[in-house]
Parts: sequence; C-alpha cells; structure tokens
Amino acid sequence: MDTSKRDQQQHWEHTVRSRLARLRSMPVDAGRLEKALRAQIPRPDSVSAAAALSWLRPMRAVAASILVIITVVTVLLLSTASRPVSAAPAHMAEMHQNVVSGRVPVVQVDSIAQANEVLSRKWSNLPEVPDVPENHIMACCMQSLKDKKIACVLMKRDGVPVTLMVAHAKDMRAPDSPVTVKDGVRFHVQAVGELNMVMTQRRGRWACLIGELPAETLMDVVQQLEF
Amino acid sequence: MDDKQLRRRFYDLVWPQMPVVLRTAQILCGGDVPEAEDLAQETMVKAFGALERFQPGTDVKAWLLTILRHTRIDRLRATAAKPALSLERLEVEPADQRSSSAWDRVDIADDPEAILARFSDREVIQALGRLPEEIRWTLLLVDVEGMSHQEAAELLTVPVGTIKSRAHRGRIMLRESLLPAAKRARILGETDEQQKKDRPDIEGSEIGTSGDSDGYV
Repeated sequence: MDTSKRDQQQHWEHTVRSRLARLRSMPVDAGRLEKALRAQIPRPDSVSAAAALSWLRPMRAVAASILVIITVVTVLLLSTASRPVSAAPAHMAEMHQNVVSGRVPVVQVDSIAQANEVLSRKWSNLPEVPDVPENHIMACCMQSLKDKKIACVLMKRDGVPVTLMVAHAKDMRAPDSPVTVKDGVRFHVQAVGELNMVMTQRRGRWACLIGELPAETLMDVVQQLEF
Repeated sequence: MDDKQLRRRFYDLVWPQMPVVLRTAQILCGGDVPEAEDLAQETMVKAFGALERFQPGTDVKAWLLTILRHTRIDRLRATAAKPALSLERLEVEPADQRSSSAWDRVDIADDPEAILARFSDREVIQALGRLPEEIRWTLLLVDVEGMSHQEAAELLTVPVGTIKSRAHRGRIMLRESLLPAAKRARILGETDEQQKKDRPDIEGSEIGTSGDSDGYV
C-alpha cells in the first residue's frame, strides 16, 4: 500500500471515528422505558406522597371550582354594587303604586322626623329624608331598586297621595329625559300615565317626587325640601 | 440497606444513566427500538437487583454497560440467534481481503467527511449492526462513548492491544459496509456500468446481519 493510500485510509478511519462519536449526542425517546421502569421500581418519595394525597385530588378540584365561582360572583357583585342604577320612570311609578296600595309593608308616621327615626332604626345606611313643610305625612318604608336602598315617605298634597323617594346620589342615575331648570335647580321631569315625577340631586342625595299632580307643583314641593 | 434506600440510590445513581443504556442498546440492536427497550429495561432492573454490590466511587456508566453486555449475551444465547461472521473468521482485515473492492475505486478526490455526513444516524447504526458483536462493542465503547482503550479493555476483559486492533478493523469494516450504500445512493460518483458490475460483489461482501452474534451460540 503506497503512502498516499495509507494517508487516505487514515483520513477515512479518523472520519469514521468522528462520525461514530456523533452518535453520542443522538436523541433517544426514553418515555416508554421510563414508564415501564417506574412501574417496576417505584420512586421512593413521590410514590408514598402521591398515594397518601391521591384521595385529596377530587376535593381539591371541587374546592378550586368553588373558589373560582366565589371569585366571579364577588367580582360581579362588587362591579354592580358600585355602579349607580337608572331611576327608570316605570320603576319609580311602580314603587309609588306599591306604597299607595299597601303592596309593601309601611309604617305609619306623622312627620319626617318620625319617619327618619323609624327608617334609621330598621335599616342602616339609608339617607336622611329632607323635611317637607306643610304636607300631611302618612307613612314610610324602604324599597330597593336592584341593590340600592331607597327611603320612601308617603304624604298628601292637596288631597293627592305623593311619594317622596330619597337615595344616596351616588347610587342613582337620572334617566335620559328633558331637564328643566327652575329657580336655579335642575329637574328631570318624566310622566308615566297620569303620574308625573320630578327628580333632582342636592347635597349628596337623590330625590324623586311622584304623584298625580302637575310637574310644576311637584317641583315647587321639592324646592321646599330642607336638605 | 432497605428497599426504600435501594430505590433512592437507584434513582440517584443509575437513573441518570438510562439514556446512555438505551442509546447503547439501540446501537447494539441495529436500530431495533422495541428490542433495544427490552434490553435496556432488563439491564436497569438487573442493575437495581445488583445495586448493593456496586462500589461507591467507581464508574457507574462502565458498571451499567458491563451489565448491559452480560444481559445482551444472555439474550443472544437464549434466542439462539443466527451465527454471524465471528472474530475467528476475520483473520484477514476486510480492507485487505477486498483490496480491489469498492474502496480502491473511490476517487481520490472523494471527501470522507462529506460522504459520511450524508448518512443518517439510523443508517450508521444499521451498518454497525452488520458488524460482529465484539467489533460492534469495541466501536461502541471507544468511538461512540469515548472510553479509553484501557477502560474498554477492562470492560470487555480483553488486552488493550486487542481493543486497538478491533477498533481499527471495525472502522474499516464500517467504512466498507457504508461505501456500497453510498454508491447506490450516488453519494459517490460511479457509472451505471460499474454499479452493475459491482452489485453482486457488494451484496456478497456484506458482513453479518443485524442482531447476529459472534461466537456466543
């Protein structure tokens, strides 16, 4: 064998050796072997711990589900609770009729002061009802619109039952309606059938007066309110 | 040592070597994956059984490969595999035996790196699988696993000189096994006329078959 052929053979041998060395980094799929071996020779720590806690798995799943539901409900409640509700005229009219017809329990009172005393004793976080001079106070109650509390006082004006509703201003949002300004006070004026209603906000309180009286008369009454 | 301690020791010492055992088994089995997985699993289970006899501080990989070798021998004996070309039959180096074979007709300008780079790992493993078992083991330990001749000699319980000789012969045999395939795949330049002329000679010169043993049966 001449020198060049020997050199060539050595070159080949070196190349074969290098090619074989590359097999060292050949990836192998040990998944099946791992699984089979773990079944035959269980890992000492994980086996006992996993077996001991296996009965907890369904409970953990249930607890996690409950936690998720509670979180979602809480978030929804918080988001809706902090949002003001719309004082829709239909709702206001229904609440007035509930009071007038006695469909909701009411407490008979003779004055706004007495009404405030009853309301504050029975329900917390109700706004104070402003005093209304020269009106015949008949009864009071609390009604809710969604989760917002509204203090209601039934009175008579010119022999006509009128309901004064008072809530925290942050809880109520006036409906889209024409705004009337009278003596510097802004009123939202609405009508549902024979019922007229006027709404306004003053000193952090939302007030709505509703009855079968002209809107002008209702606005006059509201202007007399002593907030 | 109780069972728990043994298992802990197994997972600490032996488990990390599992890919080496599986890879070696795959090469030994000529790329037969199910057979290699069985062989590797049996090896690992035997290692677990023999763990108390393992000397701490010694080479875990060499210990495992020794178990793998014995397991492989047992399996070959049990299955009474077809005899392949034994070392005794390799008194003449294949390159010399086929001095006028394909190797001599390779153009001097042929680039060995470029030619071998065209073969996939699977093809190289299949070519290794056609080599006699002891040659295959030698190339596995020395070239694939990068063991020294001394380490390989201890593991295979043969003199260092034998390892050197087997390694040299094994590389030539592997090359001879790959070249016909390279020609068929036209990795090497060759005319159709030459291919037709070479084919019977090439096929007839293949060394052993996959999964064969040498001298154990």
